Amino acid sequence: MKPFIPKGGISMRKTCCSLVFILVAALLFSTPTWAEVQIKFYYPVGVAGPLVAVINGMVEQFEKENPGIDVEPVYAGNYNQTMQKVQTALLGGNPPDLAVVEISELYSLLQMNAMIPLDPYIEAEGGKEFLADFYEGFLGNAYGRDGKIYGIPFQRSTPILYWNKDMFRAAADKLKAAGLDPDRPPETWAELVKYAEILTIREGNQTKQYGLIIPGGWNDWIFEAFARQNGSQLIKEDGVTVTFNSPENLEALKLWVKLMQEMKVCPVLRPWNITPDDFIGGVTAMMYYSTGGMAKIRKTAKFEWGAAFQPKNKQYGTPVGGGDFHIFKGIPKANQDAAWKFIKFMTRPDIAGYWSIESGYVSVNKKSYELAEMQEFLKQFPQMTVARDQLKYAYPKMMAVNYQVIRNAMTTNLDAALEGKKTPEQALQAAHKMIEDAIKGK
Amino acid sequence: MEEKKYETVLKIFILQFAAIAVILPFVWLLSTALKSPGEVFTPTLKLIPDTFMWSNFLEIMDRAPFWLYMLNTIIVCVGILLIQLLLVIPAAYAFARLDFPGKDVIFLLFVIQIMLPLESIIIPNYLITKKLGLLNTRTGLILPFVASGFGTFMLRQTFKQVPNALEDAALIDGAGHLRFIWHVLIPLSRPTIVTFSMISIATHWNDYFWPLIITDMDRVRTLTIGLGMFVQQESGSDWTLLMAATLFVCAPIIAFFLATQKTFIKSFLTSGIKG
Repeated sequence: MKPFIPKGGISMRKTCCSLVFILVAALLFSTPTWAEVQIKFYYPVGVAGPLVAVINGMVEQFEKENPGIDVEPVYAGNYNQTMQKVQTALLGGNPPDLAVVEISELYSLLQMNAMIPLDPYIEAEGGKEFLADFYEGFLGNAYGRDGKIYGIPFQRSTPILYWNKDMFRAAADKLKAAGLDPDRPPETWAELVKYAEILTIREGNQTKQYGLIIPGGWNDWIFEAFARQNGSQLIKEDGVTVTFNSPENLEALKLWVKLMQEMKVCPVLRPWNITPDDFIGGVTAMMYYSTGGMAKIRKTAKFEWGAAFQPKNKQYGTPVGGGDFHIFKGIPKANQDAAWKFIKFMTRPDIAGYWSIESGYVSVNKKSYELAEMQEFLKQFPQMTVARDQLKYAYPKMMAVNYQVIRNAMTTNLDAALEGKKTPEQALQAAHKMIEDAIKGK
Repeated sequence: MEEKKYETVLKIFILQFAAIAVILPFVWLLSTALKSPGEVFTPTLKLIPDTFMWSNFLEIMDRAPFWLYMLNTIIVCVGILLIQLLLVIPAAYAFARLDFPGKDVIFLLFVIQIMLPLESIIIPNYLITKKLGLLNTRTGLILPFVASGFGTFMLRQTFKQVPNALEDAALIDGAGHLRFIWHVLIPLSRPTIVTFSMISIATHWNDYFWPLIITDMDRVRTLTIGLGMFVQQESGSDWTLLMAATLFVCAPIIAFFLATQKTFIKSFLTSGIKG
C-alpha cells in the first residue's frame, strides 16, 4: 500500500517531532523520576468514617507494589458533585485517568463518549474467569448497550431492612397476640405493615416510637426495590422503556402512602442522612437503609440489631447501588494501563476485603469472603453476611441518559405523593411523563 | 406611662426571643461538636455532653489538613476582596459620576452579571482557567470573582448620593479623579465598602462548587471541601465531627463579623440599599 501523505504532511511531522522533543525534554527536566506514570483518580465519599485516609493508605500500598506508577487520589465530594467534576473536566478536555462515579451515570458518560471499554484488559486477565470473581449482581451496571464492559465495581451496596431486636422483644406480647414472631423481622409486605403498626408507640398525639422509616432523599432507590419486589421495574434494561406507571408500581406507592399518611407508622420524608441516627437513637424499630450505613450503626448502636432482606411481595428483589471504576479516553495509553493496574489492585480479594471492613460496603470480590480475616470479621459482625446474601436477589440499578434529571423527576413526584400533595396515580403519571421526556432529551 | 412600660416589656421580650432563636443553632453547634457520637440523638434534649470530646477537633485535623485549608481560604478571600475593591471603586465612580458613550449599556451588563448563577458559567470559566494554566492554583480560585457586578452597583448608588458641591469643591482645590475618590468618596462611603467586603468574604468563604471543580490537591484546596468530607450520603453523617469541623470553619468569619459589626450595622442604617 502506498503511504498517503496529506498536504502539509511534512510540517505536521515536524510539529509532531518537536512536540515529542518538548515532551521528552519536559519529562527529563521537570520531574527527576521521569519514568513515572502519573494517574489522577477522582472518587466520592459516600459513607461515614475516615475514608479519605483509607483510600490514601490503599493508594500508598499500590504505589509500593507498583514502582513507577504515581496515583493522585482526588476527593471529589459526594456522588453528584463527583459526576459534575468529572463532566466539567471532560468538557474542558482535561479528563481524569480514573474515576468512581455513581452507577446510574454510566449512560450519561457513554453519551459523552468519555470512557474506554475494558474488555481488552479483561480478556488479558483471563476473561470470564476474571469476571467470575465478581458478584453478578454488581456487574449488571457495568455494561453499555453495545455489550461492552465499561466499569468495574468498587464501593457497592444495596438497601436492606434494619431492625431493632430489643424493641421487637419489648413488644413480644403484642406481636405474639397478632400471630407474629418477635424474634424475626417481617418477610413480606403484609407482615411489614403489621409489625410496623404494632411497633409504633403513641402518647396522645405524639409518636414516641415509629414502627418503620422509609427515608426520603434517595427514596427513588428504595422505591425501585419495591417495584422489583412486586415484579415490576421503573426503567427497563434498555435504558429507554419507562415502566413507571405500571399497576405494580402503583400498588407499591399506595402501600407507602398508606404507611405514612393513613396509618402514620412511618414518618413522611425523613431526611436520608438522619435516618441512621433515628435508628441508633431508638426513634424507630425498623428502617430501610443502605448497607453502606452498617459500619456506623455497628460502632454506635447500643442495642442488639439485625439486618434482613427487604420483605418480599411477589418476590425478593433489590437494586444495587454505589459506584464503579471507569477509565477515560483522551489520556495516554500508559496511563490507561496504569489505571487498569490500579483497578485490579483495588478489587483484589485482600484489598476489596479490607475496603469492605473499613467502609461497610459489600466486598465486590467473592474470594474476599474466603480470607481468614474476613471470616473473623463476619463472625463478629454477622449482619454483613445478610447484605452479601441478598445479592442473590439483586438486579442492576436502572440506568439511563440524563440520570440526574430523571432522579430529580422521581424524587419530586414521590415526595409529592407521600406528602399528600398528589395522588399516587397522579404522581406516577407525572414522573412517567417527565422521565420519558428526559430520556428523549426534551 | 403604664402603656409605655407595657410596650417596653413586650419589646424586650420579642427581642430576647429573637436573639435566642438566632443563638440556639450556634449553641447546638458547639454542644454537638463536643459530644460523643452516641449522645447526638437522644430522646430528651441534652445540651451539655457527659464528657467534653475535645478529641473531635483532633480527629478532624487527622482527616484533612484543615489548617492548610484555612490558610488557602484566607488567601483566596482576601485576594478576591482586594482586587474587587481595586476594580469596583473606580468602576462605580465612572458609572456614578462620569459620562461616556455606551455607559448605560455597559452598566446594564454589570447588573445582568449579578443575576447570573455561578453554575451557568462554570464550563466557560473552567475552559478559560484551564487555558491560562490556572487549574489547581489559588489564582484560579480568585480570578473569576474579581469583577463584581454587585459591588459596582452597590457603590455606584452610594457614590451617586454624594452631593455635587463636594465634587466642585474638590475640583477647585485641584483634585483629580483619583484624589477625589481617595479623599472624598471613599471616606464618605466607608460603611458601604465595609458591607460589601463582608458580603464578599462571607460568600467566598463558603464557596464550594468552584474550588471543588478546579482543584485536585490539598495544597490549594479550601475549607468547605474539607467540611464536605463529613457529609455522607449513604451512611448518614458523622454529626459530631461535622459540627466540630463546621465550628472550625465558621469561627473566623463569626469573629470577623463581631469585630466589624458596628460599621456593618451603621452602613445598613445609612446606605441607600438595604439587604
